[in-house]
Amino acid sequence: MSKDMKFLVVDDFSTMRRIVKNLLHDLGYPNVTEADDGKTALPMLQAGGFDFLISDWNMPGMSGLDLIKAVRSDAKLAKLPVLMLTAEAKREQIIEAAQAGVNGYVIKPFTAETLKEKLDKILGATAK
Amino acid sequence: MSSFQILKLEYSACVEALTDALRTEDETAFFAAVDHIVHMREPGMFKELRQLTGDLQQALERFSIESRLQDIAENEIPDARARLVHVINMTDEAAHRTLDLVEQSCPLAQRTAEEAAALIEAFEQLKSRAASGPSYDSVLQSVEGLAPLVKSVERFLPSARSNSDLIRRNLSDVLMAQGYQDLTGQIIKSVMKLVAELETALSSLASLSGDVVEHATMGESASKGVGPAVPGVNKGDLASGQTDVDALLSGLGM
Repeated sequence: MSKDMKFLVVDDFSTMRRIVKNLLHDLGYPNVTEADDGKTALPMLQAGGFDFLISDWNMPGMSGLDLIKAVRSDAKLAKLPVLMLTAEAKREQIIEAAQAGVNGYVIKPFTAETLKEKLDKILGATAK
Repeated sequence: MSSFQILKLEYSACVEALTDALRTEDETAFFAAVDHIVHMREPGMFKELRQLTGDLQQALERFSIESRLQDIAENEIPDARARLVHVINMTDEAAHRTLDLVEQSCPLAQRTAEEAAALIEAFEQLKSRAASGPSYDSVLQSVEGLAPLVKSVERFLPSARSNSDLIRRNLSDVLMAQGYQDLTGQIIKSVMKLVAELETALSSLASLSGDVVEHATMGESASKGVGPAVPGVNKGDLASGQTDVDALLSGLGM
């Protein structure tokens, strides 16, 4: 997968967005844009140009789950790789996210290795 | 038996005790007999009085709890909210400060490492040149062999020193930025004390009113998100960690 890939990182906490942005940068993905909730993120995604979505779950406005449902129901975005990065850890929630169509699920607190592993896995699978 | 005969039966013993007391001039027995007759005449009154006293006591207690609750609601809750906002601000500030310093330091460390790697590479080249010609020692002794390397080392050392100095300073600032933990910890503890007091006041109010308090169940908002799992607080079926999440998802065919 190309290192020019454009990421959108959605989280309501700016510190978490910065952490993810730094990690992506270290992994060789310098092209990262931020959004603070689903409501802000959706029009950005719909405007096009993004290759990967990393989203938190619990956010004001529009939750990450609703964002992913909206993404999957949009024909243009239906195939966009999506990684959920969240503190939500209930089994029913993880199942709900899987049913909504996430490609990966990482729970906070997380490590740089976990993020890398999931990214590689998703990108490897979608490249096939 | 007529009702008067019943009365006669009930009271005759008391009246006899009363006349006995009068005759023997026993004051204690006299008053005891009078009390007994009064009690028989007004059985409900004393029960009512007891009830009334109890109610009055409860009302007073309730009043003191309610005025404390009002004080908590009017002054201390807004105060606690402001304190918690301050906690958020302090943690946010510390996190950003730390991130700033890390973002500043990483490129410095990276640059030093890159410059050192270039020097190592230059030495390696010198060695391989020596392998196919004059000996390594004689290359090092020759000016044309050594001059460019010396220049690079000369350039590298000051920048390595200033980069390391800056990184060390940044790290000690990172250390200082962790000072928020002490302050936020104290603030959170004071808010916890208030919450505990509120809990006590509310539960004594609930027990005074004697009503069966129906525990309001929190609306299930799992789809909205419930926030991070807190050990010992969250109930329900929680994934214990990333490995657990991975196992669950692979079970779903992901």
